Amino acid sequence: MSVPVGHYQYDRIDRDFLQARIAEFEGQVKRRLDGTLSEDEFKPLRLMNGLYLQLHAYMLRVAIPYGILDSRQVRKLGKIARRYDRDYGHFTTRQNIQFNWIRLEDTPDILRELAEVDMHAIQTSGNCIRNVTADEYAGAAADELVDPRVHAEILRQWSTLHPEFTFLPRKFKIAISGSPNDRVAARFHDIGILARPGEDGAPLFRIFVGGGLGRTPVIGEELFDSVREEHLLATLEAILRVYNAHGRRDNIYKARIKILVQAIGVEAYREAVEAELAQMDLERYRLTPEAVAAIRSRFAVPLLEAPADADAVLTEQRRADPLFDRWVRSNTHVHRDPGHIIATISLKPAGGIPGDATSAQIGRLADLADAYSFGEIRITHLQNVVLGHVRKDRLRELWLGLSEVGLAEANIGLIGDIVACPGLDYCALANARSIPIAQKLGARFADTALQAEIGALRINISGCINACGHHHAGHIGLLGVDKRGEEFFQLTVGGQAENGAAIGTILGAALPEDETVDAIARLVDCYLGRRESGETFLETLTRLGHEPFREAAYEAV
Amino acid sequence: MKRPVRLEPGQKLVLTANRLLDGRTVWWREDGAWDLRIGYAVLLDADGAEAELSRAVEEAQREGVVGVYDTAVLPVVPPEPVTVREKIRAHGPTVHPEFAVETAQ
Repeated sequence: MSVPVGHYQYDRIDRDFLQARIAEFEGQVKRRLDGTLSEDEFKPLRLMNGLYLQLHAYMLRVAIPYGILDSRQVRKLGKIARRYDRDYGHFTTRQNIQFNWIRLEDTPDILRELAEVDMHAIQTSGNCIRNVTADEYAGAAADELVDPRVHAEILRQWSTLHPEFTFLPRKFKIAISGSPNDRVAARFHDIGILARPGEDGAPLFRIFVGGGLGRTPVIGEELFDSVREEHLLATLEAILRVYNAHGRRDNIYKARIKILVQAIGVEAYREAVEAELAQMDLERYRLTPEAVAAIRSRFAVPLLEAPADADAVLTEQRRADPLFDRWVRSNTHVHRDPGHIIATISLKPAGGIPGDATSAQIGRLADLADAYSFGEIRITHLQNVVLGHVRKDRLRELWLGLSEVGLAEANIGLIGDIVACPGLDYCALANARSIPIAQKLGARFADTALQAEIGALRINISGCINACGHHHAGHIGLLGVDKRGEEFFQLTVGGQAENGAAIGTILGAALPEDETVDAIARLVDCYLGRRESGETFLETLTRLGHEPFREAAYEAV
Repeated sequence: MKRPVRLEPGQKLVLTANRLLDGRTVWWREDGAWDLRIGYAVLLDADGAEAELSRAVEEAQREGVVGVYDTAVLPVVPPEPVTVREKIRAHGPTVHPEFAVETAQ
């Protein structure tokens, strides 16, 4: 058996299930087309299979469990983009991919194509546990304490078609990381899990509950500090049961777990979970070392061999090529193996659409993954792509290969690395267009030297209050609002999703669309003019407070 | 239930929906058929729109459309929707000129 690096290898049971599910959905599509099923009856069925009806076409959201793909799967996504879409795939803020131009009658065929490479679109919509997300540097980063992928896979299996949690009060999102540096926005999830090793080496799980963005942004609160591995599933089961029993179903805007936790308090929620655990058959949910080992065995481990001079080669190449050096500075992360490095590939070209890739680019990514990273690719919740295990002495070759297909933008973590939802150009829920503002900002700050000078500064853009662009968590956040049919943008500053999770503060009244880019440029100028040596945007904001930035943003209004 | 569209002076109503098979935006023509081009949409007064809307909703399954509703336009050639959302539905996404929708023949 050839086991893929980085993600779980399906077995016959998994594959048989997918085929049965596709056959079921194909029947539902036929009945919809012949009128046996009304749209009201069909809508929840198609949503359970990831199919939305948007402004111009159906949109299919495909699950990428914990964001990891193999090159075979990536090529299949490229084929789907070419054959069934208009040659694009859009990577989302939950490590999934969406296709924006899908025909209803093609959907069963697309699902069959996906199943050929062990993929599906189940639970990418609906009031269920959605795709479990994980650290994009999992199993590779030098700062990692516990590789979260095995437990992410366990959570995927536990949550897939869980009969008790298929009709929750509202959607439910779980993220897991094993690094002390939170790269999954754990505190902005319904459940956020941070793993670390215990004294005996076995993992312990710190669990946050009730975080979220959307209409009511809330930072998750710690429910438990040190859940043992054997009790992980029982604990999650109990948390979900309390939510399922007590979460509101009378008001969609009050139905998320964060509202319940806020309403009763985290202490009361903890007591309710503990009471549930006390009456559960814990043995039934016990995660044994053997069960964990069985899942782990279905992940291949990359053979990390590099020449002794790999680091020296990279150092020399960086010295000789300033453009390459700039890319390495912004787009790489330290690997646990000294001969390897993690490369993040930006899907944010200046003036481009954040998260979009053409079928040619997707195919090229698969080729480069095969050549440089054991055929493995990760999708980030910031709409970029990661090759996790690149030999240092081959990094420049990779960079040159990326340059050929317009994927060598040196802007990760910088102002050009803009996160944006599809917005009103596609989305039926949106109030304003996110992409054009992202494109204008990307073009305004296109100079990579300027971006490097500005330093760490993340812009997040959402086209409506549902916050798919995570604007509350942006250092600068933009929320599109509709004022009598016209687009306006509300600005927030000071949000962040990492360890010091914070919700951005609204600066003032929403600005007309055509004034927004200039206002943000003035915010950046304010920062550049008043920062002290080495200070990031957030540090300057913390030191000065919001007032200078508010004055800068509105000075011309 | 959708709130009635409030028309400003000089505005008209058109009926719109999405095609069941592929989700494409369509507009209600005078002959009762649905068309991809807003240039062929029949312009309705508030008084007449209600009956047309009921008829279109009733015939939606047979005509292969979903989500029928009315929206305000300026009665120019081709009709121009009042809201950004409906302009984008009529003309296509603003970020891909190659995906622009023809509005008339």
